[in-house]
Amino acid sequence: MSGFTPRITRRAFTIGSLLAAGTAGLPIMVKAQEGKTVALLFDSLVSPFWVTGIEIMREEAAKRGWETLEAISNFDDNRQFEQVRAMIEREVDGILIIQTDANAVIPAIREANAAGIPMVHFNRPPAESDAYSVAIQADNRAIMRETVQFLVDEAKRIGGTYKAAILIGDLGDVNAIQRRDGFFDIVDQNKDIIEVVSRISTEWNADKAFAGLTNALQANPDINFLVTSSDFLHPQIEQALKIAGKWNKRGEEGHVLFAGFDGDEGAYQRLLDGFLDACGVQNLFLEVDMAFGAFTDLWAGEKPEKLLLDPGFVITQDNLEETRDAMWGFSVWKNQQG
Amino acid sequence: MPIDAAETPVDTKVEIPKVRAFRRLLERLILSEYLVFYITGVYFLIVWPIVPEIASFSSLRNILTDMLPLLVVAIGQTFVLIVAGIDLSVTGVIAMASVVGASIMTSDGGYLQGSALAIPVGIIAFLVVGGLIGGFNGWCVTRLNMPPIIVTLTGMMFLGGAAIWFTKAHSPTSSIAGLPRAFVAIGGGTFAGVPIALFVAIAVVVVAHFLLSQTVFGRWLYAIGINPKAAKVSGVPVDKAILWAFVISGVCAAITSMLLTGRLETGTPVLGQRILLDIIAAVVIGGTSLAGGKGKIIWTVGGVLFLVTIDASLKLLGSSLFIVFAVKGGVILLAVGLDAMRQRILARGSG
Repeated sequence: MSGFTPRITRRAFTIGSLLAAGTAGLPIMVKAQEGKTVALLFDSLVSPFWVTGIEIMREEAAKRGWETLEAISNFDDNRQFEQVRAMIEREVDGILIIQTDANAVIPAIREANAAGIPMVHFNRPPAESDAYSVAIQADNRAIMRETVQFLVDEAKRIGGTYKAAILIGDLGDVNAIQRRDGFFDIVDQNKDIIEVVSRISTEWNADKAFAGLTNALQANPDINFLVTSSDFLHPQIEQALKIAGKWNKRGEEGHVLFAGFDGDEGAYQRLLDGFLDACGVQNLFLEVDMAFGAFTDLWAGEKPEKLLLDPGFVITQDNLEETRDAMWGFSVWKNQQG
Repeated sequence: MPIDAAETPVDTKVEIPKVRAFRRLLERLILSEYLVFYITGVYFLIVWPIVPEIASFSSLRNILTDMLPLLVVAIGQTFVLIVAGIDLSVTGVIAMASVVGASIMTSDGGYLQGSALAIPVGIIAFLVVGGLIGGFNGWCVTRLNMPPIIVTLTGMMFLGGAAIWFTKAHSPTSSIAGLPRAFVAIGGGTFAGVPIALFVAIAVVVVAHFLLSQTVFGRWLYAIGINPKAAKVSGVPVDKAILWAFVISGVCAAITSMLLTGRLETGTPVLGQRILLDIIAAVVIGGTSLAGGKGKIIWTVGGVLFLVTIDASLKLLGSSLFIVFAVKGGVILLAVGLDAMRQRILARGSG
């Protein structure tokens, strides 16, 4: 390298300067304003539930005059821990978190506790620990019970005996376990008319759900009672039932009694079309309200219970018109319709 | 006839002395092998007025502790890149070592639950998992002549799945908690106010720097990266050196796994699954060549510091995901663009 003096051309200098100026300008655009601030720490925005959830949160925060800071960890527990510490540095007034892992979030709760910043978990409670935070969660088991009860009542009304299948979520997820248990709470009481012939483990994977249901329908072509632990699996279920010649509307011959869980826009559409009989709905609007209410209580010096339950509700063919406004999927569906 | 102003000859070679001095300074900066440190400094100064919190003691401490796990695994990757290889399996190693180590130490039914040997055996398990996987990668590359990218890519996929399976066999939940406090301190504890992870990372940096700059083994690695055939003809044990480069990478990934598992107090099969790009980017931004034969530990330290500083600023801004991607991508592009510019200047100068 010795013995020469390299020189930067004018063009290279200009391009370099523009790149530097442009890059430096980007953070300026997003500078957060001063004021009451709540951090919204999501682990992903991969499903309509979460996308709608963060939109409702932004709107609700704006209504209350709060600023929001957002971060997505992309399913990285360590990144989320770092995000919590960054929000503590920003001296936010509250941290709303949707963690990936119930155990790995405990150190983050401890950090927030040490900094005196309230932490609220949305939809997923943390594991038991000595750290204090408030979790908002749908009462999965009760909602699923109510949903399956509607289906059983339908079965009794129609008459006959039924072969049932359930699509179960990831058993590492407490929501999936509770929904599965809610299903069995009801079908076990009705063994005289319902026999569970297939428990399909999806691990919240759409491909596995499709393959599992297809196999189940081949092994048990007489399945006529189907419950899914999440509505995001509806497209795969529809496809598998179509292949098996079982995708029929209510009242049509060969209709499979079918119930979902979550309350997304696809579920609303299928209810509307008559393919879906019932859906257990997580009341997203209420859950956001409960989460923000918990912040208000914590700021006021109160100490809410560690777990607050959203009772949710069941939307069916019978109450579709009067209940749909509380269904978050209906809001999404309406927006999609323009 | 008056001369048209547009036709007036302008001596473009005449430069104001101050501009010339500024250019010389800029040239020196751009040509410096520590360019990434300067860019980090400039970025920090730009962000400082926007998020003043970034300059606080606790924020700087967070930046330091956040960079340690990434630094250790990136150092291992530096060894592999120097021999013109690549190790994509490091995230799989991080996940697998995490759950294997945790399954030994956990108080929720661990193999050595409550035993005084739980922590030492757990730590050895972390290192053995990393070393064995690294050794297997190296064996496939050297003995079976398989491309490193394929071997380690499939390793990453296999280990990712195997870690989940292993966790399910050892825990009713999706992770393994209940780790001993003394182990957890490795990732999140302090000694005399200094994070214990810092001591671990410094030890790795010193050993790695020594290996690369002061030993015959280090010279072998550079020689292999520049020209493996020439190295072999010169008597370098090429296969053995490459195998050991992969073992070092695996062990470094296992140490990172220890730091992260301790920090999160949890063994989890998804640990580190999203940091592969950061690992490769940090090493390359630092100046280590993907083509092999060029790289230094201090450069990797610079690359990691740069990425973590960007990350820290974006976390403090609390900006939406698309802004995070845009800023991070833009800044990395700027860094790589400057490096390309430097290479052109050097090539022109030497030509």
